Amino acid sequence: MDELKNIAPELSKLKKEQPFDTPDNYFDDFSARLQMRIEAEKRVGDPKKISFIQILKPALGLAASFAIIFMLVYVPLKTFIPHQVAEATEVYEDPDARILNYIENIDESSFISLLNESENEETTFSDEELTLYVSANFSDYEIYENLENK
Amino acid sequence: MPDSEQNIVADLRDANKRELAFHVLVKTYQERLYWHIRKIVLNHDDADDVLQNTFLKAWRSIDKFREESSLFTWLYRIATNESITFLNSKKRKSMLPLGEDSEYLMDNLMSDPFFSGDEIQLKLQQAILRLPEKQRLVFNMKYFDEIKYDDMSKILDTSVGALKASYHHAAKKIEEYIKNTD
Repeated sequence: MDELKNIAPELSKLKKEQPFDTPDNYFDDFSARLQMRIEAEKRVGDPKKISFIQILKPALGLAASFAIIFMLVYVPLKTFIPHQVAEATEVYEDPDARILNYIENIDESSFISLLNESENEETTFSDEELTLYVSANFSDYEIYENLENK
Repeated sequence: MPDSEQNIVADLRDANKRELAFHVLVKTYQERLYWHIRKIVLNHDDADDVLQNTFLKAWRSIDKFREESSLFTWLYRIATNESITFLNSKKRKSMLPLGEDSEYLMDNLMSDPFFSGDEIQLKLQQAILRLPEKQRLVFNMKYFDEIKYDDMSKILDTSVGALKASYHHAAKKIEEYIKNTD
């Protein structure tokens, strides 16, 4: 107060009175009115939650459908098709690629010895085997003709 | 924090006692908060709206109340913020610049059927309305409500030094206005 007297002597002389009024019984009723507003807010609050979920429902359904489509189509395509393609190309490429790889990996001496082995195998047919081969693949007439020509 | 406040806070945190405790809180602080708000917004109907908003906000956010400050300081802070937000929204609707509120508030004061002050009180209110917003708040809280600077510092989130300076400037300006106007 002394501080105010020093700064503002005229102001400090004024009587500190509340220049405002309120309607009659305002403070007696206030609590009840406030309670009504809180109750109203509670009532409005619950449907809001439901409507919010209702609003979200189609979007969630759509998102779930996309997720299912993704799982059913995209994921199998991505995981299986590249392998199948790779396997298929392997099948077609196998004969040439394998033979070439095999030959490239064999040195010259091994290659020659393999050829010799196969030649030796040819000369080891028995008479019985030869007779069976001839009788199965040639007719009697062809055999007779060949023998006559000799 | 006083014992009575501690009891209210404890009951507010208890779901079974919450509604009754809130009723006690409203009854305890409604008048002090109303007059604080009324001095900011001036009009009774506006003050009533802001007071309801203040208590509703307190009701919704009672769980966030930290017992570092007193319950009254916390409520005062909510009331101050709600009042300023209310005034700013009114000004926006009236297409007034945010700083230019003295004219709007003067109209509010003059049109209020519940203003019962005499000529000198009207003059004092006019002088207060010419102050910048922060000085107006500080002057009202110190001059009419006699709130301590320490409490005011918590409510307005301003240092005590700055509050003292604001009050000093405000009192000087009001003194000049009273002296120089008939």
